[in-house]
Amino acid sequence: MNNNKTTRALLGTGALALAGLVTMPAQAADAESIIRDRCLSCHTETGESATPFSRISEQRKTPEGWMMTISRMQQQRGLVISPEEKRTLVKHLADTQGLAPSETDGVRYLLEKEPNVVESFDQLVQETCVRCHSGARVALQRRTEDEWKHLIHFHMGQQPTAEFHAGARDRAWFDIALTNVAPKLAKDYPFNSDAWNNWQKVNKKSLNGTWAMTGYMPGKGTFDASLRVSKTAADNYTVALEGQYADGTPLSGEGRAIVYAGYEWRASLTIDGVKVRQVLAASADGSALEGRMFERDDEIIGGSVKAVKGNVITAVTPSYIKQGERKLVTISGNNLKGNVQLGNGVKMLNVVSRNANRVVVLAEASKTAKVGAINVKVGRTSAKTALAVYDQVARVEITPSESIARIGGAGGPIPKLKSAYRAVGYAAGADGKPGTEDDLRLGYMPAAWSLKPFDEIAQHDNDIKYAGTISRDGVFTPGDAGLNPERRMSTNNVGNLSVVGTVNDGNNNVQGEAHLLVTVQTFVKPVLQ
Amino acid sequence: MKLTKMFKQAAIVTAIGASVLLTGCNNANTVAEAPATINGMKAGGHEYILTVTRPNELHIVDTETNKLIRTCDVPGVFGNGGIAMSPDGRIAYVMTNKWEDVYGFDITNCDIKFSVKQSYDNVQVKSITSMAVSADGKELYTVQNPVRKLPDRFETMEPRLAVFNTNDGLNAKPVRTFPVDRRITKIGAMHNGEVILGGGDLKAIDPQNGKTRMIKALQNWDRAPDKWVPPDAFAMHSLGEHVGEFIMPYFTIRWNGAPGDESKADFLWGHVRIDMKTGEVESIEKVPFEFIVFNWITDPHDKDVMYGSFNQLSKHNVKTGETINVQAMDHTYYNINMANDGKTLYIGGTSSDISVHRSDTLEKIGSIQLTGDMSTSDLRLARLK
Repeated sequence: MNNNKTTRALLGTGALALAGLVTMPAQAADAESIIRDRCLSCHTETGESATPFSRISEQRKTPEGWMMTISRMQQQRGLVISPEEKRTLVKHLADTQGLAPSETDGVRYLLEKEPNVVESFDQLVQETCVRCHSGARVALQRRTEDEWKHLIHFHMGQQPTAEFHAGARDRAWFDIALTNVAPKLAKDYPFNSDAWNNWQKVNKKSLNGTWAMTGYMPGKGTFDASLRVSKTAADNYTVALEGQYADGTPLSGEGRAIVYAGYEWRASLTIDGVKVRQVLAASADGSALEGRMFERDDEIIGGSVKAVKGNVITAVTPSYIKQGERKLVTISGNNLKGNVQLGNGVKMLNVVSRNANRVVVLAEASKTAKVGAINVKVGRTSAKTALAVYDQVARVEITPSESIARIGGAGGPIPKLKSAYRAVGYAAGADGKPGTEDDLRLGYMPAAWSLKPFDEIAQHDNDIKYAGTISRDGVFTPGDAGLNPERRMSTNNVGNLSVVGTVNDGNNNVQGEAHLLVTVQTFVKPVLQ
Repeated sequence: MKLTKMFKQAAIVTAIGASVLLTGCNNANTVAEAPATINGMKAGGHEYILTVTRPNELHIVDTETNKLIRTCDVPGVFGNGGIAMSPDGRIAYVMTNKWEDVYGFDITNCDIKFSVKQSYDNVQVKSITSMAVSADGKELYTVQNPVRKLPDRFETMEPRLAVFNTNDGLNAKPVRTFPVDRRITKIGAMHNGEVILGGGDLKAIDPQNGKTRMIKALQNWDRAPDKWVPPDAFAMHSLGEHVGEFIMPYFTIRWNGAPGDESKADFLWGHVRIDMKTGEVESIEKVPFEFIVFNWITDPHDKDVMYGSFNQLSKHNVKTGETINVQAMDHTYYNINMANDGKTLYIGGTSSDISVHRSDTLEKIGSIQLTGDMSTSDLRLARLK
């Protein structure tokens, strides 16, 4: 039937990732008329000017949150809406019923697709909600109490087994959720807030101009680049990124960005042939963009990025120098003019190269240079405690310390979910004892990577043979999906492993370990987990 | 942590378990006289094992030959594959269509004699495995979990026991309904007419008037909270038909030291066992929580002996807590049942094969390959009269 075909076509394009929604149609239909045309076969007009549409008007969400809601309406409630209308609606709702920057503090990792975050929420919310999905998914919404209650009822209809799960069936889950959790959420995450009211009044700064960006991509390393941002329409920009990785490999890309709620930067770029996303937040004064950049098709492969305007040092790489060592140090930032000055006991021998965004110097720490973090200055621009002077690497931490990778591929529809690691070095500090408060953080250090069984069961089941491999860059790739007849009970290529990072420090090798659970696929992948 | 250690021990026990010897010998049920047949199927008390597989098929296995003898197509999409038998062993009531509809099959010819579509109008009704047939076969019971789907929101309604007349044929409607607790999974019909409601606590309801009484408080038990953790009582499958009983397993922790001090605690399986004829109730926590099981079944020759399956097949004395025997399994099996003679165990669910074992040694003696995965389906014993 023709109608069905049309519906399927619309559903297909409607699944576009949010960062791809960067072209606003010139004649965008008015969002409210789209709501009237598309949503009111189920929703109703309330007659209240402050909350004109039932359900819709009593919630605030992130752009991704609105995207999820509208996609669910398409997939499960029969909503038919064009991709253009959907873009318009997400933009309008995220702008007018969004979250203030302060309301996303501490939970942006979910928007940024940051993997391996160990959450800690209030026990009631943790036990009632976070046993199934992230706490951030809750904390990135604002609703009236009635709306939070509607959401509890929604769970009972949408997931009828929710109250029968382990952790739910041993208590009156529905009653607890309705009578205890919903009022608490209405208090903790209220629909009406000063933060949002005030943020709406703030005169948002244009993000036009050239920014100095630094960041990290697993397998490639740290980079610095200049990000040129050009406005094409309200909240719409083209972006170009030009720079280099720490090893000198150039980096180049371009794309588009859209800004929601005056600060939620979502960009889609192609960098050296790879499609990437940026999920950043603009600071209120319009001087900084911070967040995460990751590969579109492999969200694990990404890292923190920061872009700044004005006279700023954004990174010093490497961020450590050993007593008696002579090495190249790269200072990245914006408008880097003037003499380079390093701190006590560390001499700047000569400037190897420089431009406005990066200065490479040959530095030397004396054998008696004081252990501690020193300031780095270029002209009048200063970065406090940006370079750590150390005696020896006393311990190494591997981040993330707890991690999950998921088998995939092997002809199945779900790709492998990798995990990526970095080693952070520490000196022992004044007390000479590693693992104490005065340890000196040296920053990310190069490491050699290996795997070992986490415990005796992993050893016995030979997880190390099946669960996957780690690259020299610290990227773990899990094994193929599916039953493996070679294994006990034909189990999947799952495993319980330790990731070992070994940092070489002169004559010493210092190791750190992280825990890696290689498990099965996630079969449901919402926009916000 | 003690719990982790226990799981480790359990896992290692499985890992080093003896390899399986397939003898191919069957454990035929001895029948004194030549049985009558119905539509070519041995009757007169002959036993069959029933289960449901994806995409949605009811299978009937003869316990004498351990061969699949009949497969019936079940209407609707799979889910959950629950089965309740009529007392004469002839009608299998099968839960289908994502836990919503029930179809009653004559297992001798696959004819559909009865059906219920529980959802109606804008109300979505799911039964989470809870289905039973009265001892006289005249009534079918389900626990319904209704949610009203309003145009722009859901409204959770009160769960209820729904009573159907089994001779109402196709598109039967409830003849009575009574409010019940939330979170009920496993139900059973006693000979006195009451229906056992297995949820957080074990209650019985009179399906004539809805009057409810407590059989055994579990979640709301009256034990010192500094000594005992209230149980997590849960079971997907209603078993025990081979000996006429209902068992609700549960997990609890006994604090022998300070509450939370796991080094001094006992992690225990408990169960409530109800004799469906007499209503006698037994409740005990002795078996150490070293094995995951979804259900226990009782040895017909020794009520103190129970069997459980998941990643291992295990045999326990529930009075002493002794683990009598453990058998490694080829994969995970959610479900277990046994023939009335007490000699043969059938281990199914999850995947597409029923593993057949001797009950004395737990040795694997056969395997019945089905056409699809059983997933959460029941594995029920039918005694065709």
